[in-house]
Amino acid sequence: MFRNYFKIALRNLMKYKFISFINLFGLSVGLACCLLIFTYIRYEVSFDRFHKNADNIYRVQRTFNDPETGNMSLELGAVAPPFATLLENDFKDIKNITRFIPNGPTPLRYDDKMFNQDDVYWADERLFEIFSFDVSKGNPSTALKEPFSVMLTEEAAKKYFGGSDPMDKMIRMNNQFNFKVTGVFKPLPGNSHFHPEVMVSFSTLRDSAIYGEEQLRTNFGNNSFYTYLVLPEGSDPKRLEAQFPAFLNRHINDGGPYKASQYTALQLIKLTDIHLTSHRDDEIEENGDIKRVYIFSAIALFILLIACINYMNLSTARSVLRAKEIGIRKVVGAGKNELITQFLCESVVICWIAAIMAFIFTWIALPWLNSVSGQQLSGDALFQWNVLALILIFPFLVGIIAGIYPALFLSSFQPVRVLSGSLKVGGKSISFRQVLVVLQFSISIMLIICTAVVYQQLKYMQGKSLGFEKEHIITLNNNVALNENYTAFRNTLLADPNIKNAGRSSRIPSGRLLDASGSQISRGDSLAPTKADIKVVSVDEDFIPTYGITMLEGRNFRKNSAADTSSYLINEAAVRVLGLKSSQDAIGMAFQYGGRKGQLTGVFNDFHFESLHQRILPIVFRQSVGTDGYGNISVKVSGTNVPAALAHIESTWKKFLPEIPFEYRFLDENFEELYRAEMRQGSVFTIFTGIAIFIACLGLFGLSAFTITQRIKEIGIRKVLGASVKDIVFILSKDFMKLVLIAAIIAFPVAWYAMHNWLADFAYRIDISWGVFILAGIIAAIVAFATISLQAIKAAVANPVKSLRTE
Amino acid sequence: MIKITDLEKIYRTEDIETVALNKLSFEVKEGEFVAIMGPSGCGKSTLLNILGLLDDPDGGSFVFNNEEIAHYSESKRAQIRKRNIGFVFQSFNLIDELTVFENVELPLIYLNMKASERKEKVEEVLKKMQVMHRRNHYPQQLSGGQQQRVAVARAVVNNPKLILADEPTGNLDSSNGNEVMQLLTDLNEQGTTIIMVTHSEHDARYSHRIIRLLDGQMVLENSLI
Repeated sequence: MFRNYFKIALRNLMKYKFISFINLFGLSVGLACCLLIFTYIRYEVSFDRFHKNADNIYRVQRTFNDPETGNMSLELGAVAPPFATLLENDFKDIKNITRFIPNGPTPLRYDDKMFNQDDVYWADERLFEIFSFDVSKGNPSTALKEPFSVMLTEEAAKKYFGGSDPMDKMIRMNNQFNFKVTGVFKPLPGNSHFHPEVMVSFSTLRDSAIYGEEQLRTNFGNNSFYTYLVLPEGSDPKRLEAQFPAFLNRHINDGGPYKASQYTALQLIKLTDIHLTSHRDDEIEENGDIKRVYIFSAIALFILLIACINYMNLSTARSVLRAKEIGIRKVVGAGKNELITQFLCESVVICWIAAIMAFIFTWIALPWLNSVSGQQLSGDALFQWNVLALILIFPFLVGIIAGIYPALFLSSFQPVRVLSGSLKVGGKSISFRQVLVVLQFSISIMLIICTAVVYQQLKYMQGKSLGFEKEHIITLNNNVALNENYTAFRNTLLADPNIKNAGRSSRIPSGRLLDASGSQISRGDSLAPTKADIKVVSVDEDFIPTYGITMLEGRNFRKNSAADTSSYLINEAAVRVLGLKSSQDAIGMAFQYGGRKGQLTGVFNDFHFESLHQRILPIVFRQSVGTDGYGNISVKVSGTNVPAALAHIESTWKKFLPEIPFEYRFLDENFEELYRAEMRQGSVFTIFTGIAIFIACLGLFGLSAFTITQRIKEIGIRKVLGASVKDIVFILSKDFMKLVLIAAIIAFPVAWYAMHNWLADFAYRIDISWGVFILAGIIAAIVAFATISLQAIKAAVANPVKSLRTE
Repeated sequence: MIKITDLEKIYRTEDIETVALNKLSFEVKEGEFVAIMGPSGCGKSTLLNILGLLDDPDGGSFVFNNEEIAHYSESKRAQIRKRNIGFVFQSFNLIDELTVFENVELPLIYLNMKASERKEKVEEVLKKMQVMHRRNHYPQQLSGGQQQRVAVARAVVNNPKLILADEPTGNLDSSNGNEVMQLLTDLNEQGTTIIMVTHSEHDARYSHRIIRLLDGQMVLENSLI
């Protein structure tokens, strides 16, 4: 019996080629979208699962909050250095603990091979006990034990040592320290939340020239140590977390009015949850987002739904063509269940063919999707057993979902009416088909609106004035070797007319504001602690003019003024949180920040130091005591000849720092990168919206062709009675256009709600305008009208005599 | 074999009520060949559909093989239909997407017969109907006479007790029409009961008895034996 079903399914597929093409193409694109998204989701949820211990590893994280209001001021993925030892001592449940610190781009050199090395980590030897590294040379349990030891990935080893054995060779860091190569390891796969290329032994940090034992033991302020612990199998991390407040109070006592647990907290996050759910201020690499996974899943399902609706619509629309077959089958003995099985078999067969096409589409589209979305999905991922099983099972489910309505509808035909020719497909079936068309266009219009809003927000973020001049600023990593010669370095830079200015700072705009200390401000004759959470940036006197930041009151730091090391500049937001009436009131006021007493000498404008995802925070600028605090140099160049300016910066760098590789970045590129996730989202939205509309239109095209065929006699009569082509096109399009209008009315509130929620993630966002909705409605209407018109005009210009003969 | 008593069928629209069968009663014995005649709209086809269990009556009794089936459900009717009744239509009603062999095979598929048994039975009946050489052709590739022979082959392939023929020669020329009537006569002689709706007095003469209908009622019954 099934052979007969498959046979007739394939023959019908061949007989009605146009409809078969619409169904197959729509379903295969829908399934391909699902397959692509499935591959993407599979990759996203696989992060860090390759570690043997993955289920029992947790990262220790830290938050800071306002002790009065409880408002969170800082959410960190890393903690201070003393915690690892203290946690291990206090909690016997902890089986193992390790930590590392990413060092940022670090100049490394071997012979004449010199690179600004990314992903250099200070890592302790226990890293290998907790994480599953594949160590190809050296002993993982001892390689990072001794100070001044270094391990490299195979790629990094090749970069520095070529084909020769790297073991025991010395590599020089920052032109200051030599490290012995004690091991080589394979890089962690793409689905890891951290990717060290070079690991320097953590024990080196005990050297006081680098960090110092005392700092490691007592510095609770430097929260840059990523700390991971292992709990016993089945242990509840919540139980351990519950003991953290007491633990903090036991170990941190800064003499302030609050207990430690009132303003700071520790949390545990499961290793495998970090990539999709952790969005701390200091993530090691850009993490994924569970929301994005949901959004993309919804889009894939929408597209599949549209394709299924096409199948339902076209199958029921062409039921007239199959009515005779159904009647005959019933007459010769087929029961309703047998017919339902037959039609379900047909839709499953079609879905399986579509699945094969989808597999090919996906394989072709994967590299392209990677380039658009920034993923690293491999074509091999499609040949995994669970993907192949999905390709086998999913079409079965889709076939049943898409086929159930046509199957029930077709199998309910009365053979008497069918065979006597008195069957008219209409009434309820048309209403249901209309509902399906409305649903398809609602989804399409929603996607158009979402795409438009994403792009409007992107445009807004990219175009919004940041409150300073971000163009033509080149940023360099400062180097300690430059400290003594910085003035000469700067003067040499400024000797070229293409260089406008150069300033130093601890952080640069586009980065995060993660440094903060307590502050005190004068209340009467003495200083009183404030509750204000003010972020600090160390800047020199040239930073403000370099960035074109506006001084609203008071003055900038003075050059070579020793007194200015106790001067503070604050922004307007800081004026507000300090409770000052105006910027003018701030000037001259006694102010203490992080234990250093001084006075407020200037107020600068609120500008966007961070991305527009973040609110403008209260900031204090202070000068660094000594020169260590300036990690960055920002150079303002003239826009007229950027290549010449760059060449001059490079030659100056090489003159002063011949041992350090020259690397630079443009600040505006940094800002663009902050919105990369949204840009990708925009691109993916556009692509999938286009696909959704295309499939919906294919369905509409097929459906209108059928409807018009059924009305061919009416068209003939109307033409004979004097109707023009325009009249006929209007009559035929009118009904469908009404459906698009209803679809728009349904789509508008849903899209508004979805985008309202999406925009909530941005501190600075657009207001969703009615124009977007109208535009989306018009686009959908034009596309639908153009689709229907293709058929309507064909019918309208046909010879009426011919159409009347078709009866 | 068939006994109908006071059978009624009424078609209703919002405004109009049309009585298709009006308290019709008659009996058909096993092995009989009965022709039903009457003008268009007299209720012939409605009667045939009810006798073929394709439609249910609105009133009266319908006994088939000593079983009252007037108000059986669709699925129960389908069960009786596929084991006992074969249909021959004026417009042949073959499935265009299936070959001659596959069309004839269809009733056996729904009886869940084994493939080898099906093949044997279909080939036997195709030979008998002289269309074996056309077994792999599609209906559109056959003449009207050949198509009707295939339709008869399909109707008899599962050896039904009753064949219902709705104007079986209506779309055929006289020579092909006579051939089909001869086929039905042969089947009847082999024991199959045949009820045939026809407009043709010529065809009706092949039967044993003619029932004449008018406005849903029997107006005359003549025996030709």
